Amino acid sequence: MGAIPVSARENTVFVIDDDAIIRLSCEQILRKSGYTVETFANGHVGIERLKEVRPPLLVVDIKMPELDGFEVIKIVRKIDPEVVIVVITGYATIETAVDAMKMGAYDFLPKPFTPGELRMIIERGFERWRLARETQLLRQQKEEVERKFVTLVSHQLKAPLAAVKQYLDVLLFTGNAQLPAEAVEWISRSQARISEMLGLIQDWLMLAKLDRGALCDRNASSDIGKIAETVVHEYRQLPSVAPLTLTSEIEPGLAQARGDAVSLSMLVGNLVSNAVKYNRPGGEVKVSAGSDGGWITLKVSDTGIGIPDSFRPHLFEEFYRSKTPETQNIPGTGLGLVICKKIVDELGGSIGVESKEGAGTVFTVRLPKADVAGEVELAEPVGK
Amino acid sequence: MSEPKSVLIIDDDSDFVKAIQTLLESSGYKVRSASNGRDGIQLAKNVQPDLMLLDVMMSERTEGFFVLQEIRRIHALHQTPVIVLSSIYSEDTVFRVDPQAGWLPANLFLAKPVDPTRLLSEVKRLTSEPADQRSSPAVGREKL
Repeated sequence: MGAIPVSARENTVFVIDDDAIIRLSCEQILRKSGYTVETFANGHVGIERLKEVRPPLLVVDIKMPELDGFEVIKIVRKIDPEVVIVVITGYATIETAVDAMKMGAYDFLPKPFTPGELRMIIERGFERWRLARETQLLRQQKEEVERKFVTLVSHQLKAPLAAVKQYLDVLLFTGNAQLPAEAVEWISRSQARISEMLGLIQDWLMLAKLDRGALCDRNASSDIGKIAETVVHEYRQLPSVAPLTLTSEIEPGLAQARGDAVSLSMLVGNLVSNAVKYNRPGGEVKVSAGSDGGWITLKVSDTGIGIPDSFRPHLFEEFYRSKTPETQNIPGTGLGLVICKKIVDELGGSIGVESKEGAGTVFTVRLPKADVAGEVELAEPVGK
Repeated sequence: MSEPKSVLIIDDDSDFVKAIQTLLESSGYKVRSASNGRDGIQLAKNVQPDLMLLDVMMSERTEGFFVLQEIRRIHALHQTPVIVLSSIYSEDTVFRVDPQAGWLPANLFLAKPVDPTRLLSEVKRLTSEPADQRSSPAVGREKL
């Protein structure tokens, strides 16, 4: 990664051909054009050397005793997917050429060929190799930039907001009694707007991490019951939750769920957060977890305002938020459920919702048990 | 009245320091601050505060983590309670560090901006509890 190593390797062509005359003429023609050339009379020797040198370009004859050109291509592709392969074919049939291309050869050279034809095809091959490598380097740089952007820039976006909010928090806390009612009101509004923005940056950061595959760990396992209890416990401490009753019901001896504690905490946290926000004074929020065959089932139910049928299809869409008179003042980023869905998908589970307007909502999450050989059961079908 | 407890804030964000300093002073704490790890460690050695507030993401991105490990190596500060603050996480994200994570020997983690009521109650708790009753800094456990 990073700097491009400049070496003789970048100028090297391997020629594998059982015909000594072809080897010799290729060597002479290409040397004259400034290439470093190594020739091999059979595939085995050439492949062994290729593992060490990693040349950008390989010229290989199709018809050879022992290991033929097709077999050489097959083995070389596994060793080095980037090497550009040109096949030489004595029987210039379209079929053999097409077969070789299908197996990953870049171009073909029918025998007999002129020095000019060989040079042209080799030059084109090198051009192709350079482009492929540039593309790869650019992709790596892009990923690096993205990674730095989300971690560092999001911190730099949040730090000033955090400082501003901290001033307002302290101002209100220490000077509440002396401040005019209007100042208190405006400070409170400012606090709410800053919190909204901080939440947005945080959620956006999480989404970026999820999209990069840097958040969920499918190989980890976590005690989802304990996570649920902790989240409920934490929410109970919040002053805004005081008019609600929060309970948790965890099946005793519940198996571990697939996934790391950070992602699962976020998942449960987001669902409980919604159940709290879209509730009504005196309402209830219940978190339950149990097992069902190879699955862990987590339910977060509330006795809140419910979700209108028309919003249901858009629930897991980015930045989609219901805008009814009842919900327009509820703060939120419109990313919470998107994050939940991505976490669940990443872990091979599912998330669903049942809701009745005016009565409440139940979110049901199914996650694979950690000890289940989930790859067999859940993985995408492999092969053709 | 007993001697006021002293708090050392190590943070490179001067606005954040000023806000927290005002808050703590209004509750009777004696507050000092340093804007980088090196000055912070020196000041901590000199004044031996009753508690430290430490930012983990100062100019040298992870500076705070090294400051914390350095502080724990100093005998006189080995037991001093440390609250780690960070704006990496927001308040509604559950900030949880593995209780077994001995690499981050803090007593408590709080997200920035910090709720004044919560901060005051934690500072009070950590400065009044005897060291052996606190959550052990050696395992960096957060009390939930």
